[in-house]
Amino acid sequence: MTQPPAARADIAIIGCGAAAEGLYRDALKRLQSRGIARVSALVDPNPARTAALARHFPSARIFATPAEAFANITPVLTIVASPPSLHAQHALDALAAGSHVLCEKPMAVRAEEAERMVTAARLARRVLAVGMTRRMYPSIVQTQALLAEGALGDRLRFAYREGRVYDWPVSSDAAFRRATAGGGVLMDIGSHVLDFLGALFGPPTGGSYADDARADGVEANCRLELACPDASGVVQLSWNQPLVTSFTIAGSAGELTLDPGRIDALRLRRDGGTWETRMCVTTWPSDLEPRGRCGLPRSHPDCIYYQLVQVLRAAVHGEPVPVDGEKGLAVIRTIESFYERATSLRLPWLTAAEQSEADVHHWSQQRWAAA
Amino acid sequence: MGGGVAVLGAGGFVGSRLLERAVHAGRRDIVPVVRGLRSVGRAANLGVSYRLGDASRPDSLKPALAGCDAVVNLTTGDPGDIVRTTESIYSAALAAGARVLIHLSSASVYGPVERPNLPDDAPPWLGHWMPYARQKGRAENFLRQRMADPRLAIVVLRPGLIWGPGSPWVLGPATDLLRGAAYLVDSGNGICNLMYVDNLLRSIDAVLAHAAAPSGFYHVGDDETRTWSDYYIALAAGLGADIAKIHAVPGDRFRAGPRDRIEELKALPMYRQLKDRLPIAARAAMKLRVVRALGGDRAAVTANGNAVVTRELWHLQTTRYPLPTGKFRATFGHRNTVSFRSGVAASLAWLRFIGVCEPETPGKAAQADSGALAVGRGA
Repeated sequence: MTQPPAARADIAIIGCGAAAEGLYRDALKRLQSRGIARVSALVDPNPARTAALARHFPSARIFATPAEAFANITPVLTIVASPPSLHAQHALDALAAGSHVLCEKPMAVRAEEAERMVTAARLARRVLAVGMTRRMYPSIVQTQALLAEGALGDRLRFAYREGRVYDWPVSSDAAFRRATAGGGVLMDIGSHVLDFLGALFGPPTGGSYADDARADGVEANCRLELACPDASGVVQLSWNQPLVTSFTIAGSAGELTLDPGRIDALRLRRDGGTWETRMCVTTWPSDLEPRGRCGLPRSHPDCIYYQLVQVLRAAVHGEPVPVDGEKGLAVIRTIESFYERATSLRLPWLTAAEQSEADVHHWSQQRWAAA
Repeated sequence: MGGGVAVLGAGGFVGSRLLERAVHAGRRDIVPVVRGLRSVGRAANLGVSYRLGDASRPDSLKPALAGCDAVVNLTTGDPGDIVRTTESIYSAALAAGARVLIHLSSASVYGPVERPNLPDDAPPWLGHWMPYARQKGRAENFLRQRMADPRLAIVVLRPGLIWGPGSPWVLGPATDLLRGAAYLVDSGNGICNLMYVDNLLRSIDAVLAHAAAPSGFYHVGDDETRTWSDYYIALAAGLGADIAKIHAVPGDRFRAGPRDRIEELKALPMYRQLKDRLPIAARAAMKLRVVRALGGDRAAVTANGNAVVTRELWHLQTTRYPLPTGKFRATFGHRNTVSFRSGVAASLAWLRFIGVCEPETPGKAAQADSGALAVGRGA
């Protein structure tokens, strides 16, 4: 027997800056237009930001702080899209108010904060999901399935590279300070990458790490060598270089490549044969009906929509979320462990004198000196 | 170099290298000025302080230039903004009491260099077909009219193609060479007027170091005269690309291709209005369709491609003469330090770093990575 459709879910957004505008706005409008959810509160200390977002959600109430918001409303779901250094406090506020939480990545800037979030969610019996949207990519899901069936054999090696000149429309420099962002490109793009690599190959158990951050900066380039239970490989990330973005996995029985810019296809070849392109047809629920319709995400914005639906389904029906707080915490712990062993990255365009100077002023040197 | 040196366009290719070079040299006088905080991300590793200033608005720039006695204009962007931005920067520099304004123009203001010993102060060709060159020429004329004012020295640098790590003039040819889409017009005999980015930055340093920089126009360029064939063959050799696959294009006249028509469409105001109105999701979907329709997925990079001859590159490759740079050397006592050979080596190292050549197959990855880490640790 089909259960009745769930009631329209109230959603609050904490942090109405670039993430809310650029990532969530269109997906939320889609949810709202389909009668699935309603944005009921916009929370941000900057009235210009809440006003800009309120144009799209005119029925939403506006609050300057989470405390004010939760004194007046109890949303089913709170999206935490504030600067990363505030994620923990804002998520804790929402959980304390009885709301489920979808927290933007990185989940927190320190593992201890993420631990508190996980504990609070468990005690409150609320969903704590982390916005690792790439887990919704059909290509990632299909890769996971291919690896599970042993399509590439054993002795797996991977290489992941992603980089472009930073162009996120930030409204403060919080993303570029270690105190407020926790780190640079590893914390930013690396959160996604370490999450889905962990899903594909198991959580990293070791490796090495090099980056280009000086004492007062955060890394714009980094390079990791990762050892995971089921594979090993390298990851290179950049905020200022146009890296040829690619993801390649090779094993004893075949190779697979993904273009991270294309979410619905992968290329596969077995035993040195010819490359074949496989279209990926993983679907996700597109509404809150217990046995509702499903859809195929075709773009990153699509995935944000399906991620929101999945988190709401977790809240309403108890279904699993793609990335919960425990998995988000594991990523933060991994990042911290790499930062602890950071060394200076060789940048080949620097002169020898510049590279030496960069090594001397690498942020790890300051940390060792302080220790 | 007494006061600060404001660098406008510090988030761009040349500006970010200027900043990086200055930080590694221990300089404290550089004041990077950016329009938006997103530009800070490009140099987030350096941890330097920025000032915010919109180069198109003097009122916004004036506080950003406070305390600076030199202003370096490296801004790029939409051709339609070049003149307005130049006017604004000039006004703000004057108001801030700066002693010198260094304005980065381009040798493209002439079109191809069609005669030897081209004077440094030759007027720009305002009928240029390329909006960028046309507007750069107009900006130069604005500054030319103000060079007699003793309050602010105006030094206009006219480099050719700025190349080196990070340059589109390295990435573009390298990508084309690897995918079999590179071409040489008239057997590559045209002069490739190159300016290695660090040589350009040394030129800027030379102007800044001059106690009384004379206003004027100055050609700047590398020491060696190279042809396009020299340049492509040097890159191809380092990339392992087959030079036999470089397409030969006749130099008698230019024949417009699809890319030029697309660029013409993109230059229309209607295109920009439409682009601004479309939601991000719709734009992403449309872009994906166009990329796929043009066969531009990543897999195609290593396949043989057909050469798409662009008007800009065709004209550049038919340049007949090198830019004479004697005036700048004589005035500022400048010497380049990077040769063509070492510039190519650095560019190839950068291409390897970003993954254009020697693609990082999983098998090779471990070797490459451990090498990089070992150097980083040991240095």
